[in-house]
Amino acid sequence: MAELTRDEVLQRAAAKQSFARADLRGIDLSNATLEGLDFGRAELDGANLSGAKLKGASFRNASLREAFLKDADLREANLDKADLEGANLEGADLGLANLNRATLEGAKLGRATLRGARLTGAQLDSADLGKANLENALLSHAELSECYLGGANLKGAELVNAVLSSANLEEANLEKANLREAELVGASAPKANFFGASLQRANLSQARLPGANLEAADLRHCNLAGAELSGALLTGAKVFGAATASAKWSTPAAEWLDGSPGADGSRPVRGDDVDALLAGKLTSPTRAARYFGKGDVLRDASLEFGEGSSIEIESRFENCSITLGAGTDLVIGEAGVLSHCRIKGGGNITVLGQFFERESPGIQGPKRLVVSSSGALVGTIEQATESTEFAFQPGCRLRVKILTARAATERSGRE
Amino acid sequence: MSTNGKQTIVEEGTEFKGILTSTCPIVVRGRIEGEVETPSLSVSEKGSVHGRARVGSIRSLGELSGEFDADTVELAGRVKDNTIIRAKSIEVKLASEDAKMQVMFGDCELAVGDAPEDDASGAKKARSLRPPKREGGSDPSPAAPAT
Repeated sequence: MAELTRDEVLQRAAAKQSFARADLRGIDLSNATLEGLDFGRAELDGANLSGAKLKGASFRNASLREAFLKDADLREANLDKADLEGANLEGADLGLANLNRATLEGAKLGRATLRGARLTGAQLDSADLGKANLENALLSHAELSECYLGGANLKGAELVNAVLSSANLEEANLEKANLREAELVGASAPKANFFGASLQRANLSQARLPGANLEAADLRHCNLAGAELSGALLTGAKVFGAATASAKWSTPAAEWLDGSPGADGSRPVRGDDVDALLAGKLTSPTRAARYFGKGDVLRDASLEFGEGSSIEIESRFENCSITLGAGTDLVIGEAGVLSHCRIKGGGNITVLGQFFERESPGIQGPKRLVVSSSGALVGTIEQATESTEFAFQPGCRLRVKILTARAATERSGRE
Repeated sequence: MSTNGKQTIVEEGTEFKGILTSTCPIVVRGRIEGEVETPSLSVSEKGSVHGRARVGSIRSLGELSGEFDADTVELAGRVKDNTIIRAKSIEVKLASEDAKMQVMFGDCELAVGDAPEDDASGAKKARSLRPPKREGGSDPSPAAPAT
């Protein structure tokens, strides 16, 4: 067992000595003051640190399996790659702590405070985080399968690419959380609050979300196949490209939905169309759709799309010229790149990917141009005669010159 | 920087010409012509700023012309000819269904965020923004030709 006694540890702690690589298995350090000390790579399996003051301490790569850390003060502690499997951290304060790549499988974190904590890539499978406070915590790529998050506060948390399969999120608060591309297959989230959350490209197939609040949530391209959403609130949700057809909804599910590709509110869907859209039935038979998939490359082509068509490009286009008829919707998807290209005509252009012009003006006469937060655009935009409607979302990257139609006419007159 | 809630207000009917530097947010309901330096510049629907501005954030519902360097820009209203806006982040919203267009752009240039590069082409497409040609001259700075 431990190579040091409690008194010896406290004496050394008073002298600010390091406990790096120390063997402290099973030691009782409950309620001890050990702030800012170094326990890097130390063995603390089964140690009793309940109520200990460990603010700013370093447990980097330390082993704390089955350790008892109930109500411990671990604010700003460094637990990077620490092994906390089966540890008891109930009511502990881990605010702003670094738990990146830590192992917390089966750990008990009920009522723990993890505000702003870093848990990127952490292993939390089957952990108990009931009523924990994870506001603004960073949980991207974290493994949370079968985790209990009932009543947890995840407001503003980053959960990009996190795995929450079969997790329990009942009545959890995920307001404005970022769950982009997260895996929520078979998750249970009755009455959870996803207001304004991003669930873009998330997989919610077979998830249970009865009574959940998904108002203003970004559900674009997310998979809701077989999901249970009876009584869920969806007003203002952004649903472009979402697989909703086999999901179970109450009707009416929402007063209105945002069906625009760029989540910019430009295509509101109201009334009976809401249910038709969610049922996958709202597609105009006259609306010709073209899709250019990921991985394809198109070079030196001239493409013309008639009035009212819908085009989505996830491919790479090089040295291409595209002409859009009036009312045509062109979406350059996130994987789409238009390099050395030109777009002409009065269509609605949404840039989620990248556009680089071939010659000025690279974009001529669009009715509407939206550059989303993931979009990038380099080129000159010649506005339509009646002025182009623009929308730029925070995060977009631009090197653009905007010309009025008047300036373009003057320029061509000079030429 | 604490400004204790204090603001510098250029009220409606007031026209300021010259250099205005403030550690407080500036609210423009009248007209400023010249140079402005402030952590925050807010331009109301009837307000206008013409000249150069180096600011932390701009929120404009009014009229802008000249050169603007900012961290964040939130734009509605009008952006006049020969205007350059350089920012880390920009937000321009589409008009709501029943309202008129949110922003009207004249001939202007926007440089926002890191310069986009087309990695696959092996050539850097980003261009630097040159000052606009105020008078005469031919075509104002186009994008660098793709190689």
